[in-house]
Amino acid sequence: MGPEFRRNLWLELTTRRIAFMVAILALIFFASAVSGPGWTPYSAAETVYYLVVVIWGARNAGLSIVKEIRDRTWDLQRLSSISAAQMAWGKLFGATIYNWFGGAICLAVMLIYGLAHGAFGKAILDFFHYVIVGVVAQAVAFLASLVALRRRSAHSRLDVFLYQLLGILAAVVAAYVWETADPESAVLLGRKSTEVIPWWGVVISARPFLLLSLAIFAGWILTGCYREMRRELKMENGPLVWLGFLGFIGLYVAGFDAWLPHEALMANWNVVALRLALASTTFAALTYVMVLLEPKDRVLYRWYASQIASADIGRVLRNLQAWIMSYFAAVAVSLVLIWWLFERGFGAFYPAVAIAGLGFITRDVSIFVFFAASRRRSDFAALVTLFALYVLIPAILDGVGLKGMLSFFYPTPSRPIWLGPAVVWVEAIAALGLAVSRVALGEKRAV
Amino acid sequence: MIEVRDLVYEYPTKRALEGVSLDVPPQTIVALVGPNGAGKTTLLRCLAALEVPYSGCVRIENLDTREAPRRIHALLGYLPDFYGLYDELSVRRCLTYAAWSHGIDANAVESAVVKAANQVGLSDRMETKAGELSRGLRQRLGIGQAIVHEPKVLLLDEPAAGLDPQARRDLSALLISLRDSGMTLVVSSHILAELEDYCSEMIIIDGGKVVGGRVVKVKDVERPRYLIEIATARADFEGFLKDASVDVIEVDEHHALITHTRNAAARAKLIRDLVAAGFEVSFFGESSRALEETYFSQFGKGAA
Repeated sequence: MGPEFRRNLWLELTTRRIAFMVAILALIFFASAVSGPGWTPYSAAETVYYLVVVIWGARNAGLSIVKEIRDRTWDLQRLSSISAAQMAWGKLFGATIYNWFGGAICLAVMLIYGLAHGAFGKAILDFFHYVIVGVVAQAVAFLASLVALRRRSAHSRLDVFLYQLLGILAAVVAAYVWETADPESAVLLGRKSTEVIPWWGVVISARPFLLLSLAIFAGWILTGCYREMRRELKMENGPLVWLGFLGFIGLYVAGFDAWLPHEALMANWNVVALRLALASTTFAALTYVMVLLEPKDRVLYRWYASQIASADIGRVLRNLQAWIMSYFAAVAVSLVLIWWLFERGFGAFYPAVAIAGLGFITRDVSIFVFFAASRRRSDFAALVTLFALYVLIPAILDGVGLKGMLSFFYPTPSRPIWLGPAVVWVEAIAALGLAVSRVALGEKRAV
Repeated sequence: MIEVRDLVYEYPTKRALEGVSLDVPPQTIVALVGPNGAGKTTLLRCLAALEVPYSGCVRIENLDTREAPRRIHALLGYLPDFYGLYDELSVRRCLTYAAWSHGIDANAVESAVVKAANQVGLSDRMETKAGELSRGLRQRLGIGQAIVHEPKVLLLDEPAAGLDPQARRDLSALLISLRDSGMTLVVSSHILAELEDYCSEMIIIDGGKVVGGRVVKVKDVERPRYLIEIATARADFEGFLKDASVDVIEVDEHHALITHTRNAAARAKLIRDLVAAGFEVSFFGESSRALEETYFSQFGKGAA
């Protein structure tokens, strides 16, 4: 048991608090047992579990580091000998130990109720599902607080509420995914449940597949928490784990080719091209997510340049940001896709769209870096710029009848077919040049 | 003990440290002084391996902060300006947590806690919650947390801010005893008076640079600073002192700040010579404001 976990035990699990939790839950379950058939101890336990572990637990997880910063104890903790793992798990599970205490009582009630009513198998599956949902909610809130800490904006009540909200949203997504394999819930929501899931051409039973998927994603989120904690403790992370995640997510998403609608434009593509397209789209999406989340630190980018100038490429690779790796993964897989489409005689249409897509990503990340190098609320400025480029200008062009220019601002085919990609890449190179010059200009100003 | 070479640290909009190089010898108490915004806290955080420099290096006991930050953290004790206490925990639990978090062996934790509490004079308040302590006692508890693992280097950020005179005196005695027990201390402050009692060396930082380019020796046990005052102004005062082979730091027609051997006979001879030369000596004594005098004499010189 690590020091941080033990400290949290001191603070969270006092005799008075334990007695209070037991008394309240006993009252709730007694009330549900003696009330009408619409409210059973099982349903009461489910509701209380969501309240205590997901909603309240996400708040406590998001607050665990923020509280240290507010109390000015965080630097002391960073200067201790506590390992990154002890610190991460000590905070994540220590700050929420009271929630898990209440949650454990709820889970026990569910299991006992399921056993007593002959639904033990369902109760066991639900047990694991609820544990995963709780871990996901709290871990996402905790991860959000760590990511915000890197961006040096983490202290206010609103910040904590946002971390909590992200945790709850993650739990809702996890619950929603689980419900797709739950006949009862699916009927309630008016959707058809699915008993099997085709993945990489293999038909797999939905419940174990989804439960395993949720568990693996929970594992990746926990890995993210651990790595962010390492970074806070000034330890180098290296690129391998993120590259491993990219490999996993690329393969995972590429397996869902059978879910693409058959009437789509790509209906005549073969399965390899579809899977490459899914993987590259996933990497592109991750590039946008990570460029938004990570601090676009121009000091770091100048440091990259100085290390490259002194031929220390290895050091740069060890400190590469996740959005940069995701960007290059998207580029690499897209180039393979383009080559594949040419090779298989699909003509220039799809390759042109893919090349334009790469240009748009290059332009957009350059816009993020450009604004980060010049102002404080840089992400907001970058998002407004992208909104103008993707929504406002195309709307104006459409309105004044210049539809032929839409391909300069929106990933859509152009005539002639290579005009759109060419213009998009001119935009991308201009944005990249502006970003690089702004970062370099900052160097001169700093000196 | 601490070695800094060509340290550059940048915030996104500002270069906070520019080519800082210095050496801090072991078993000394070094004052890190300078005006607000000079870069003191940034330098202290770089020394603590809490910030990664843009270029240059910081070594603590030959460990580079970039290469081995966690090993350096294990060597350090740190007292932030707000002491960093858990108000809900008792003094005993605060110290126990600090001992655990610095990796002290489970069997040695209790004795380390008792020793640290004794050192900072809190052994009679072990069960009092940190939140119930006065400011002076909170500061002591903060130091207790920082020294429970007997670090080789202790970094203190404005340790005496807000303390009453008795608490400041206690702090001076405690820091001197820690130095004598083998620790190297770096104390950041912009209040020179509070550093006067215990600092022997000084790093003056301004505009992200070390003024004078090095650690300045403030007090020399063998050759202390003396202040000489003469009642009637004499233009040849400086010339006389130089002819007498005295190391003059500052001089005008009425006053001189010199360093001179502590030897009583040698001092008596200097006074005799002054009087024999017709100087009306109205004061001859050891300077009690060495730090302040050094600070202002160096500060005007600008950065190296």
